[in-house]
This record gives sequence, C-alpha cells and structure tokens, in this order.
Amino acid sequence: MRPTALPVVYPVFICAPAELTQRRTHARCLRCPVPRARIDEPNMRNDSRKHPPSISSHVLALAACGLAVAICLPLRDVLDLTNIAMLLLLTVVFIAARLGRSEAVVASFVSVALFDFFFVPPHLSFMVSDVQYLVTFAVMLTVSLFISHLTTSLQASAREASDREAHSVALYALARSLAGAISPEQAVQHVATFVREQTDGQPLFFLPDADGQLHRFPPGTSALGLDESLVLDAVFRSQASDPSCSTSGPNGPTLLFPLNGATRRHGVLLVRDCGRDGLDLLRPMLEAVASVTAIALERLHLVDLAQASRMETEAERLRSSILSSISHDIRTPLTVLFGLADTLALADAPLSGEQRDIARAIRDQAGRLHEMVEKLLDMARLQAGQVRLRKEWQAIDEVIGASIQLLGEALREHPVKVSMPPDLPLVAMDAVLMERVFCNLLENAAKYSPAGAPVTIDVATDDAGGLVIEVCDRGEGFPADSLARIFELFERGAPQLPTPGFGLGLAICRAVIDAHGGQVSASNRPGGGACVRIALPCGGEPPDIEPEPADPAGAAS
Amino acid sequence: MNAHQARILVIEDELQIRHFIRQTLEKAAYQVLEASTVQQAVGEAASGKPDLAILDLGLPDGDGVDFVRAVRDWSRMPVLILSARSDENDKITALDAGADDYLTKPFSVGELLARVRALLRRTEGGTDAGAAEVHFGDVDVDLAHRTVLRGGEPVHLTAREYRLLVVLLANAGKVMTHRQLLREVWGPAYVDSTHYLRIYVGHLRQKLEADPTQPVHLRTEIGVGYRFQA
Repeated sequence: MRPTALPVVYPVFICAPAELTQRRTHARCLRCPVPRARIDEPNMRNDSRKHPPSISSHVLALAACGLAVAICLPLRDVLDLTNIAMLLLLTVVFIAARLGRSEAVVASFVSVALFDFFFVPPHLSFMVSDVQYLVTFAVMLTVSLFISHLTTSLQASAREASDREAHSVALYALARSLAGAISPEQAVQHVATFVREQTDGQPLFFLPDADGQLHRFPPGTSALGLDESLVLDAVFRSQASDPSCSTSGPNGPTLLFPLNGATRRHGVLLVRDCGRDGLDLLRPMLEAVASVTAIALERLHLVDLAQASRMETEAERLRSSILSSISHDIRTPLTVLFGLADTLALADAPLSGEQRDIARAIRDQAGRLHEMVEKLLDMARLQAGQVRLRKEWQAIDEVIGASIQLLGEALREHPVKVSMPPDLPLVAMDAVLMERVFCNLLENAAKYSPAGAPVTIDVATDDAGGLVIEVCDRGEGFPADSLARIFELFERGAPQLPTPGFGLGLAICRAVIDAHGGQVSASNRPGGGACVRIALPCGGEPPDIEPEPADPAGAAS
Repeated sequence: MNAHQARILVIEDELQIRHFIRQTLEKAAYQVLEASTVQQAVGEAASGKPDLAILDLGLPDGDGVDFVRAVRDWSRMPVLILSARSDENDKITALDAGADDYLTKPFSVGELLARVRALLRRTEGGTDAGAAEVHFGDVDVDLAHRTVLRGGEPVHLTAREYRLLVVLLANAGKVMTHRQLLREVWGPAYVDSTHYLRIYVGHLRQKLEADPTQPVHLRTEIGVGYRFQA
C-alpha cells in the first residue's frame, strides 16, 4: 500500500553549522530537536493532501445535502422539525466521514440554509417566523461543524495508526532483510528499495573510503549540487550526535541522515524528494531507516575486521611455522657438522697438525654458516610483517653486558670499553632482539677494525628519558659514498674486502630499532673508525619500584 | 658415586644429533641411555635411573616441557635443555618447570661436556648443601653470619639484595629464570615484575663485580634470567 502523509507537525528551527554559514551557501539546515514525540494535529493540509480539494467532491457534498432535503421534503408534515434537523445533521456527519473536512464545513452551512429555506415556516423563504429558530440554526451549525471536526480527526487518527503500522511492518521487513545482507552493496540495495517504495524519495548513499572521503555507493554519478555536497560533508564530519539536516537546492528538497554506528560514522544517507509527500514528515521513519542501515553496515564492517584479523593470524602462524621448520631443518645438519668437526678437532690421536687445522676450519665455517642462516631467518621474521616485541623494562647495561659475554671469543682481540652514567633509567625493550642488535654491531666493529683496536660503547640519556647509544670502533670506517645506504638489506660497507658477511647485520639492527620506535644512524669518526648511533625512546612511563622496608636483615655493613 | 660412571639420558629425535652426543659422552666415559620421544624418555628415566637428562625441546610427540614436568614429580635429576634460538618461549617454560640449564644449537663438544660436568657436580658434591661460606672473585660471603666482604672490606647489602644473592649462590651454575627469582625473593605476587630484578641485580653488580657492565659472576641470560658463576 502506498503510505499516506503522517499528520505531524514538527517544531523546526534553522541550524546553520558554522562551516556552512562561512561558506555562504544557500543550504538551509533544518534541525529536528526534541521533543521527538509526534504532535498529533490533523489539519486541513493533510486532509487535502489525502483528498485533494476538488470541485467534484464539493458538488458531491452539495448533492448529498440536496438528496437529504429531497427525502425529507415529503415528510415535512409528518416529521417534527427537530427530527428533520437531526436527519440533516446525519447527512453532514456522513459527508464528513466520506468526503472530508472542507466538504463537511460547506455542507454544514448549506444544510442550515436549506433547513431554513425548505422546512422552517414560512416555507421557501429564508424568513423566519419565530426568532427562536435563530437559536436552532446557531446550535445546528455549531453541532454540525463540531461533529464534522471530530469525525475527520478520528478518521485521520485511524489512518495515521494504520500508516504507522504499515511503516513498522515494512521497517521490520527491512531490518530482517538487512540482517541477512552479506555485503554493503546488498544492504544498501535493500534500503534503497525500501525508501523508494515507502516514500517516493530517491535515496543516495555516500560511504567513506579509507581516507575518509565520501563517495557515492555503489559507485555512480551523484550529480550533487554544490550546496548538497557541502551539507553532505558537514553532516558526515559533524561532531554532533545527530546532525541530520534538510536542504533545499535546485534538485528539490533533500534530507540527509548520518549513518551512526557504535564505533564510527559509516556514511550518510541522502534522500531527495521526488514524490508528492513532504519528506520532512517522513523524517522519523527515515531516521529509523538510517539507524538500521548503520547497524547493518557496522555489522558488516565488524565481520570484515574479524575476517581480516583471522586471516592475518592464520598467515602469521603459517609464516612462523614455515620459518621454524626451515630453521629446524637447516640447524640439524649444521649442529651435527659442527659437533663432529669439533670432536675431530679435539680428538687426541692420530691427527696431524694439518688435519686438526682442517677439522677446526670445518667447525668454524659450519659455525659461520649457522650464524648467517640465523641472521637470514631473523631478517625474514622481522620482515614477515609485524614484529611482536616482548617489551620489558630493561637495564641497557645488562643487555650490552650480555652481548659482550655472548660474543666472547669473537671479541678476544678487541677490548670493549663501556661508559655510561650511573643510575640510567630502565627502558622498555625486547631484550632478546636488542641483544641481537648489539651483537651485530660489536661483531661488525671487531670484524672491520685491526686487532687490538678498542671498541667503545657510550650510553647517555636524552631529554625525553630515552637513551642514546653509540658503538664506535677504530677501523676503516664506512665508505663515505655508502653511508646513506648502509642500513639497507644486503648492503655491505666494504664489499671489496675479503671479510665474510653479506649485509644483514645492520639491516637487522635497523628493523629492530624501528620496531622500538627508535632511530639508528651511521657516521665516521674524525680520527678514523665507524660509529653507529642508536636513539631509543624510553617506551612509556617507567614502573614504580616499591621502596624496600627498612630491615636490618640485610648483610651487615 | 664416581662421576665417570654417571648415566646420562639423551632425549633427541634427530638420529644424527643423538649419535653425535652419544659418541661425545661415551668418549668422556659416561653411560648413555637414549630416547626419541617424551613417552620413551619418561619410561627410560623411571627404569634406567639416569643421573642427568639432556633434552631436545622439539620432540615429535609433545613438548619437551612435558618431560620436565613429569620427571620433576619424582626426581631431582638435573635436566639440560638443547634448544634453538627460535624456541625462546619453550626454553623459558622448561626452565620455569624445573630444567636446570640450556645449550643453544649448535654447540661445541667442550661446552656440552662442561655443562654436563657442572650439573653432575651440583648434585653429587652438594656445594649448595650447607656450605656456610662462599668465595668468588674478591668477595667472601659468610651465610652463617650474614656478612659480605669484598677485598676484606664489609659490603652493605639491603635485605632484598642479600636474599637475591643467597638464592643465586644456592643455585650456583644453574640458570634461574626471572619468575623463579622473583617468586623466591619478592613472593608470588611479583613474578611478572621483572624490573625489580634489573634494579637489584644492578645494585649487586655495582657492589660486588669488578666491572659492573661486564659481569663475571652475576651473569645475565638474556630473555631468560640470571646465573651465578663462581
């Protein structure tokens, strides 16, 4: 069924968002503030919209009056004047019920006039023999006007109730079909069909892209007027909880409803008035439509998010299982190779010195190969997407100390001097990864500087509570032309040197420091030698340390 | 018991690695038992009464951690873990569950034998069973009188610092995980507050180590915990 206009009158005032007035558009922004409750006030306008005032219905009303008179006329001598007046009133009620208010008003006056002319003596004259009849006329007119008013109001209420019911049923149906929608396209299509069927309006959807720019959805030419575009944008960006607006442009009156989800605004529903019904009157229903649309879009959005995160987890799991099975498969033969060569090198007899050297060389090369594989796998893990940092509050001296301890033999010919102020703050970092960073830096320093040359590590704090760490050596330094690229993957500082390595160490360093939100840079020292500078943010509010209760149970001093 | 007749259970699913470890241990005059699955290992541990277990973490029929848990119910035998660097989490879980030490693959023969000897010494010699005095570097700790001397000079330790030192000394040579240390010294409510350890170990190093930035005795096992090395 085609719904009829709702007899609703809204208190309306003009709201002009600041941005709109500034742009001096002609868009009128009408706002429906509280009270949201409908004020039932049936009026002529609504009735006339349902039954457009036409000559024929008035003629019909007059004819009905004439008919009533024609029926009563032969009974003039039989019936009391009172009863005839009642019959004429009944006619007016009938007209009010069937034809409408203005017809009933006309009929009221006409029937009083006819009553006077045909039935009140002297007959066939508007003259009145008894002045008391004037009272009769007045009461008759008042009653008929009042009854016709009540009748039309009642009818309007009944009509409104059935319209509301029809809208509710349609809204339920819409909500049900939206619940089953599996894509935004489908949801939008359901809503568009609903709006077209129920309101004769032309619905347009505008959904934001990843950058928050609104686009017609599904894509198409929107042919929005300038004012419409501006209002559309203002509605979408407005901070107000309900910035729905109406605007009137060259394309006719337009209503705009934000699609507010629980988490964010999903877009704007624009309804352009094409039908005869005043869209403003359908506003409550369209608001409900906008809200169920927003819920549907929100649901689809969340489904998308859940799906993406499931796929992400799945991919992550796959990556890490591939990486660990690769590393397991490579490590097993390397462990055996390394161990067996070591056994051979340590064997008491009967190896010659040369054979022993060969065994040692096999062991060392296996160890080096293992190091490279580990670095490659480290890099693969770091590049395979999000690095999961296991951040804890760490003392940097501890991490540096552990790295020096771990390298052990490799630093035999390079004394490491660590200098740092006392009472350095704890910094949130992933100690295992940071240990890799320092191992790589120290290894590089040892590899590229002559035996006996010291390696220095200087730690200082910066203003923001973070740390600045410099690892410097007294070697050749980085080639000046490759300083800028030195942290890139497979970039080697000195490719011409016979030193083994293939440019992973510094790339790993940068990946780890980046993941910590820090910065790493390289430079050459004035007196010769390479320097790598790491700036590490403190990573949050340091945790509290409960002061120790004064307790004499400690070691005696 | 003579250390050279000690029985060692090797739990490793890779045949090549198992053979190489067996060779190494037998050459060092240990008796070797072998297992390739957790189930087999628990059986061997019960029937063969080994003095030490060497456990690979990536076993096919379950986690090596399960073996540690199963065995810890009825045995104090030391467990040495063989792990890869990517098994970081499993390693910590296994140590928390009661494993004693770990070796990262690949490892040298010398390292393996040194760890095995250290662990066997701990159980047989009973260095931690009632020794009232401990010496390391230029530090003397008198546990009976609760005094700590460095180079003959008394060192003041707070109650928590002293308690931490005592726990580390009592488990000399063994890796103590963060959780284990925090539970012993601060109590179960603090097992995740690793920052306490950083601060207090730092204090101990300042007071007892020759070069606190490159400690010799109070060693860091990054991501795992600490180890006292005499």
